[in-house]
Amino acid sequence: MTDTISTALKTGQMFINFGPQHPSTHGVLRIALTVEGEVVVKADPDVGYLHRGMEKLFEARTYSQALILTDRLDYVSAMSNNLAYCLAVERLAGIQAPLRAQYLRVLTAELNRIASHLVFFGTFSVDMGAFTPFLYAFREREMILDLFEMLCGGRLLYSYIRVGGVNADLPAGWTEKCREFITFFKPRLKDYDTLLSFNPIFRDRTVNVGRISASQAISWGLSGPNLRASGPDYDVRKAEPYCVYDKLDFKVPVAQAGDCWNRYYCRMLEMGQSVEIALQCLDALAAADLVPGEIMAKGVPKMLKPPAGAAYAHIEASRGDLGFYAVADGSLNPYRMHVRGPSFLNVAILQEILTGCKIADVVAVLGSLDIVLGEVDR
Amino acid sequence: MTTETIQPLSEPVFNHANGRLLMPDNRYWPSRKWESPWSLPAYRSGAAVLAGLLSGAAAAAWLVGELGPRVTPLYYAAGHYALSLGVPAFLIKIVWTVIKAALLLAVPLVNALFAVWWERKISAHIQSRLGPMYVGRFQGCLQTVADGIKLFLKEDIVPDSADRLVHLLAPVVVVIPAIMVFAPVPFGRELIFADLDIGTVYVFAVGGVSVMGVIMAGWASGNKFSLLGGLRAAAQLVSYELPRTFAVIPVVMLAGTLNISAIAGFQAGYWGGLLPRWFIFYPVVGQVAFIVFLIASVAETNRVPFDIPEAESELVAGFNTEYSGMKFALFFLSEFAYVLLSCLLMAAFFFGGGEPPLPLLGFLPSWAWFLAKTLTLMFCFLWFRWTFPRFRVDRLMDFNWKFLLPVSLLNIAAAGVLIWFIS
Amino acid sequence: MKNYLSFVADAFVNTLKGLWVTLEVMCLPVITVQYPTEKLVPYPRFRGMLAYDAKVCIACGMCVRACPSRCIALAKAAPVGDTMRHGVPARIEWYTIDYGRCNFCGLCEESCPTKPVKALWHSLDYEAVFSTREEMTRRWERGDTLWGTARGADGQFAAVADQIHIQNVPVRPFDRHSP
Repeated sequence: MTDTISTALKTGQMFINFGPQHPSTHGVLRIALTVEGEVVVKADPDVGYLHRGMEKLFEARTYSQALILTDRLDYVSAMSNNLAYCLAVERLAGIQAPLRAQYLRVLTAELNRIASHLVFFGTFSVDMGAFTPFLYAFREREMILDLFEMLCGGRLLYSYIRVGGVNADLPAGWTEKCREFITFFKPRLKDYDTLLSFNPIFRDRTVNVGRISASQAISWGLSGPNLRASGPDYDVRKAEPYCVYDKLDFKVPVAQAGDCWNRYYCRMLEMGQSVEIALQCLDALAAADLVPGEIMAKGVPKMLKPPAGAAYAHIEASRGDLGFYAVADGSLNPYRMHVRGPSFLNVAILQEILTGCKIADVVAVLGSLDIVLGEVDR
Repeated sequence: MTTETIQPLSEPVFNHANGRLLMPDNRYWPSRKWESPWSLPAYRSGAAVLAGLLSGAAAAAWLVGELGPRVTPLYYAAGHYALSLGVPAFLIKIVWTVIKAALLLAVPLVNALFAVWWERKISAHIQSRLGPMYVGRFQGCLQTVADGIKLFLKEDIVPDSADRLVHLLAPVVVVIPAIMVFAPVPFGRELIFADLDIGTVYVFAVGGVSVMGVIMAGWASGNKFSLLGGLRAAAQLVSYELPRTFAVIPVVMLAGTLNISAIAGFQAGYWGGLLPRWFIFYPVVGQVAFIVFLIASVAETNRVPFDIPEAESELVAGFNTEYSGMKFALFFLSEFAYVLLSCLLMAAFFFGGGEPPLPLLGFLPSWAWFLAKTLTLMFCFLWFRWTFPRFRVDRLMDFNWKFLLPVSLLNIAAAGVLIWFIS
Repeated sequence: MKNYLSFVADAFVNTLKGLWVTLEVMCLPVITVQYPTEKLVPYPRFRGMLAYDAKVCIACGMCVRACPSRCIALAKAAPVGDTMRHGVPARIEWYTIDYGRCNFCGLCEESCPTKPVKALWHSLDYEAVFSTREEMTRRWERGDTLWGTARGADGQFAAVADQIHIQNVPVRPFDRHSP
């Protein structure tokens, strides 16, 4: 009986290109979907539309010139890229940045984490159909960008964190503005929770959607909030502390369910924790024992020539575990600079997660992974 | 590099090179502006302008007075004059009907003009921005006119694989009921185009014809995604008509009539001299009926959170993707016409349309109160759109069949109990 | 049943709370800056369009080497008597910047060694507009006067109203024989 019905109805699979141009833009990503009715049968992420040959470009530039290329990897949170790169090169060259520079690095990296998670929050809510939180997120982000403009002159791509320290010290009046921003921002996080996180329609669309189990997350190499929302408690800032994270007191949000809502909410909680870290850094910078102006290690040559060797440094960037593997051959240019981009590994799990999802959930799952194509394609 | 101070400029600086005003930086941080908005002169003057506009409108309404009772004497006077000139009676009736039809046509057009502008301003202020400011001297009020002219002048593109006749007729089938449906709806006391005794049934019946137009639009685009979108839209529209109608049944039961202006008039008077006898104040039944009607109306008009049919994100394109220029404008117009209709119906059914909320506010005419209530409800529609995310398609249908419909049926039962209680 | 009712009540309350948030924001002032009638002045460290002072430049070529995008080119000149500044002759023959390649990183400004003012700096101009690719390369010649002002001798910015605008700098003539 069922045989006659299925052959009589002639159901088949349809191939849809969730193409490089689509309205829920997270960059130029193409997912080749094979759907049967409403359910996705096969999903194939197709990356490479933003490939710029960065790892090759690194080899043609000196270490300080290559720094500005790293901004353009994960362009939404450029400070983290700079930081990872500088840590790798410092490890190669055996340089240690002074304490004040390290506090400044942590402060800017955490502010950038807030800015990046705000972009995630805004774009995720647009994917879900709520347009207002996007503008709220960018209103807050504008203040962070203004702070960075005061500090280093750039609003999106900073090149602030340099090999050996940072580029410039805080201008007068910056700490007051930063505290002003933090005082303004803390109640806004509660607003976002009321507006979006606990909204029944939003929860309806994201709870129990796109579940990733802990073993799946580990075997596919996820990192960052994507991993922590599924259970494993791994944060590079706690596991292998760099800069001054071992001196700072903060928590890392971990969830068990591993669905879209948990990934989203982990990032919201991370924003709150970044605010705490930023306050502690501001207090430390204001303390008398950190000499103002000591922002660069002594004796770093203008044309850096690290001895031949290899080094790897990884940090907890906004997207996950960002690592730089630097190989030097004693010349002015790096011999090889490989980027372990967390979004590249995060996007691979779509193959497994999207099968069995409805078409309408593809957008939710993709949004909750929070990928930036600059990091995927380099 | 020496540490330099960030000196915020205390005065705006005029750039002589290009003749523009340079603004200092510290004024636009929300933390400074939002701490004490009343300290900003621009905020105070904006609030004063708003208060002035409202009180000016109220004064103008009070001066004009009741419009409804003036229409019939005017009609009789003009009719007698025409009869005395020798014009046959049936011709007078025809001319009067044509005049009423022309005014009826004007209702959704004027509504679109105002509602689109208001929606853009409200959405802008919810999002901390300004909205239209440029076209028209005051806050961009002529923006919709400019957009209408633009849509009028756009090229009309019909896809190759589309059925030309159906493609042409679909917007017509959607828009004509959207205009006709305003006929039995009161705009004030005795201010009605056609005082039908079956007004309620007429409104819901004629409103249902537009669904045919949506299906035709989806089919005529010759594009499988638009077809799917059109069918989905039609399914949504048809299913949400049920709780909408069932929510009105308690009102009809309590009022004992289907005539909309009679229902509105039934709600005159006050309990204890203070609480108006509006249906929304009836215990449980009124509130539940209003909420169900509101939610179902938002779904009927394809507004967020129920706007899957016209959502640009998601894979499936909406049913109006292949329409450009004036045809698209007609779909848009019909959406706002149905929003206005829902607001008018809610004002008439639940808020005692035309009756002032307090006895001492009776100096304003009934049409002003009707307008105020309608605009407040329209504000709710706009407010919902910019606050909520969108339902997923299957959850949308679940919400209707598993929640709204049972609730509206239970509400009818509760209304029966209430009536037995009252009598 | 109780679960269902509490879920409905919870959803209702959360919906109303969300509506209240948007209503509150609607009644607060907007944060829009109405460009182009109102323009914000960037902060002093802002890296806008590059500006160049031919009289101060000593043609050392540090900026050429520092630039990661190779957008600067220059040629030295023998000193000529009538283009003196602070008693030092101008050393530059011509100097071009290709704004299409510049990525506004500031490495050239940091590498410029002249004191007390730099010869190459990022102005606060963010409004430069070009219509053709050839227009993006601008050239300064020996003897050109400087348009606008940079940081003064005390290292502080001059009036921002007098900042340089790139449109005032001449376009490099498109000539095969001149770089």
